[in-house]
Amino acid sequence: MASQVKPNFETTAWRFMRYSGILLIPLAWFHVYLQDVIVGVHAIDIDYVAVRLADAGWVTYNFLLLLFAFAHGMYGLRQVMFDLVHKPSTRRILSILMLIFWLVVSAIGATALAMGARPELVQ
Amino acid sequence: MAAPSTPLKNTVKGYATYMGREGHYAFLLHRLTGLGVLLFLTIHILDTATVYFYPSLYQHAIELYRATPFMLGEIGLLFAVIYHGVNGLRIAVTDMWLPKRWAIEKQRQAVRITLVVAILLWAPGALVMFYNMLLHNFHVDLLAFLPFGK
Repeated sequence: MASQVKPNFETTAWRFMRYSGILLIPLAWFHVYLQDVIVGVHAIDIDYVAVRLADAGWVTYNFLLLLFAFAHGMYGLRQVMFDLVHKPSTRRILSILMLIFWLVVSAIGATALAMGARPELVQ
Repeated sequence: MAAPSTPLKNTVKGYATYMGREGHYAFLLHRLTGLGVLLFLTIHILDTATVYFYPSLYQHAIELYRATPFMLGEIGLLFAVIYHGVNGLRIAVTDMWLPKRWAIEKQRQAVRITLVVAILLWAPGALVMFYNMLLHNFHVDLLAFLPFGK
């Protein structure tokens, strides 16, 4: 029975993909519909971003998106890579590179979210 | 002599030649939309981070997103995000709560439903984005052509 299998990284990740995917349906759909359809890219500039990143609620919302969407996407990319690469050592190297890439880009995004926009520095 | 087969070649050949009908197309579309959204998401995290790291650069990024080819891409992105979500919901719900529905006829029907639902959820947003693109980039106001319009 499935419940008797001792969870390892891959089975936990399998669950994470499903639960984070369900969570991302409201989070990502609302984000894209709000910014790309209702507001629209012609109404967005750094002042607009500054106002939103001054609001703790929207910062939290964006932080959840960054955390779940990017982790979901990078693990998905790893699954695609596993389909194409079967050699264990190559899989391991590429997995480590993806992990580093995920951490670096997440850290850059999280820093900008935490610090907010700086429209006063625009030249 | 044929070139030796590799996992890469075998997988790509399998993607192309497997005759799994609906399930096969759903798999390919799920992969394609997932990779597309991930590509955009990575660029989007980095360009939005310029609001803190390099504020003068942000306006350039936004102007790029306002260009017509990018706006068409954003309409495609909206479809990718919605389709990946609807199809992912089918997979997650079937896997975790309705495993008995992993029967081929039921899934063929479910795949067709996910495509219809995704198109219905995408179409209104796509129309608004297309309207905005014509309005801002070509100065054409589609609402002005309506008989009861402005």
